[in-house]
Amino acid sequence: MPQFTDLTGLLGIASVISAIVMMLPGIARFSTLHKGILLSLVFVLVLMPLGELPLAAYVRGATGDLSITTLVLIWGGLLHRWCGLASVDAKQRDALLTVVALIAVALYPLSLGVGMFDPYRYGFACVAFIIALFIIALTAWIRRSDLIALCIALAAFAWSIGWYESSNLWDYLVDPFLAIYAVWVIAFSMKKTRLQTPA
Amino acid sequence: MSYWQQQPKQRKLLLLLVAISFSAAFYKAMHHPTPATFVVPVNDQHVGAQRAIIRSHFVSPTQNISTHAASLVDLGNGYIRAFWFAGSREGAKDVQIRTAVFDPVYDRWSPETAIADRNSTQNGLLRFVKKIGNPVAHQASDGTLWLFYVTVSIGGWAGSSITAMTSHDDGNTWSGARRLITSPFINISTLVKGTPFNYSDGSIGLPIYHEFIGKFGELLRLSSSGEVIDKQRLTSGKLAIQPVPLILDAQRALMLMRHTGAAPKRVISAVTTDAGQHWSTPQKIALSNPDAAVAGVALADGRLLAVLNDTEAKREVLSLVVSSDNGKNWETVLQLEDQHGQHPQPAEYVRLATQLAKDTEATLVDASAFGASARHNKCMGQSCEFEFSYPYLIQAKNSDFHLVYTWNRSHIKHVSFSRKWLDQRITELRKEVSDAAVH
Repeated sequence: MPQFTDLTGLLGIASVISAIVMMLPGIARFSTLHKGILLSLVFVLVLMPLGELPLAAYVRGATGDLSITTLVLIWGGLLHRWCGLASVDAKQRDALLTVVALIAVALYPLSLGVGMFDPYRYGFACVAFIIALFIIALTAWIRRSDLIALCIALAAFAWSIGWYESSNLWDYLVDPFLAIYAVWVIAFSMKKTRLQTPA
Repeated sequence: MSYWQQQPKQRKLLLLLVAISFSAAFYKAMHHPTPATFVVPVNDQHVGAQRAIIRSHFVSPTQNISTHAASLVDLGNGYIRAFWFAGSREGAKDVQIRTAVFDPVYDRWSPETAIADRNSTQNGLLRFVKKIGNPVAHQASDGTLWLFYVTVSIGGWAGSSITAMTSHDDGNTWSGARRLITSPFINISTLVKGTPFNYSDGSIGLPIYHEFIGKFGELLRLSSSGEVIDKQRLTSGKLAIQPVPLILDAQRALMLMRHTGAAPKRVISAVTTDAGQHWSTPQKIALSNPDAAVAGVALADGRLLAVLNDTEAKREVLSLVVSSDNGKNWETVLQLEDQHGQHPQPAEYVRLATQLAKDTEATLVDASAFGASARHNKCMGQSCEFEFSYPYLIQAKNSDFHLVYTWNRSHIKHVSFSRKWLDQRITELRKEVSDAAVH
């Protein structure tokens, strides 16, 4: 009998695979109903055992569970392509990815053993860390960076109810794939800005 | 207007979500376990062997397979359960976690059984598992038996994560496998080897280590239900792995670690005087270490006992050593194995290994098969070498000591000795030293 946290982890992976399928050429021409049927089929296929495990479980073996921030972006994209819901605002998204990239540059090297300071430790229910996140979420809301506030709030809520196997709040906020995507988008954006700036 | 450029009503809802989420987060954080003291193992009851006695056995008799990384747990009344991994080779798909129980009445080990393999693990974890290894067992304060072992989904051992199972009947039946999340980088590169211990609030201390980019030791704290509640770094960079805690009292402990840094190769140690809230800067101690696992326990009288390959290269020598000054100075109590410099041809290797098997257990009827198994694992062409590695030492509640280690990658060897034997042996050695000084 699968545990609740296995189901949530596998659903996260299935969401990413579904988002990739929705980006395939020709899918955009499908009606909302047909897209819904296709999405349902993809979910069933990737969660149905094939051989030893479901396809999503093979992917999960390599990737682990995806952060809530990743899922917010994935579902934002999915709903846009499926139901025509307005896409994530580019400025909001870039602001979020900038924060993620800054976190990633510090979090991953330090957690992989560069020095004795380990920020990952503060994800295990450290009150000071939660206060800091609360201040960041509130500041983001005041400054109308609603996507940042939304991702932090949903991550904090998911961590509070034990949505995933992890008991560490960092794992709900960021994951390495989101970090790589964030660094790539920010680097690309900076290069584009430099090219557009007259010498 | 974009979906994300919220209307006032939607922005109020978002603020409400922030308030609810952080109320829940603060509630959870406020109920998080507070720091606890160490539980000092009660193991000085002197109800074990009353004589000065030392014995040895083979735990795993299966021939011609690769066998490695044993650990032990005390079941009480002299019964000991061992765990190790075995398969066609280290990292192979057919590797299993195996177990057997030592019966003190008959002075023998039960037949070995498999309790986990790659398939059972990936079915329990609902994720692909490529290989399994290093099992470490522990009995929690509530009597639950925990088994932590290493699983890899991608890459080599550097891609490891820790999997846990529990048993409520001393290891006869086990729960499904559960994953411990210990690293933000796709949870890779966390392994177990050192002896776990209990905290006063029922939580468990689990020594772990990383060997992905850095090689460093850490200490996990798990709740009684197995949730990771804290993690603390012991070393950084590429200095040391496989921490082994020697609990001295409720506040003090010494951590011994396998040295992975630059020469001179020495065991690394760190100490705490506040139940693990802070650890001293890691430093080299007097014991040599060829980048090989160390085992140890603290005695009730404050002395420290360790087992290690006390050379700077290879694992051909295994020694039992004792310290009476908190680990500053060590003296050898017994040379458990010594094949230093022996690199015989296969035929001679089999003869020597067969003799070592007979010395381990005089009643063995097929000692030559143990020799042949050793050749199977430790000879490459005409070049053979001995290996005695991965020691794991415990002191049982009845005060007897139990040591297991990998014997030529072919079998798990068990050495048990009484407290009386240890004291007598140390007295004899000191008398020899003082006699030699007089003469």
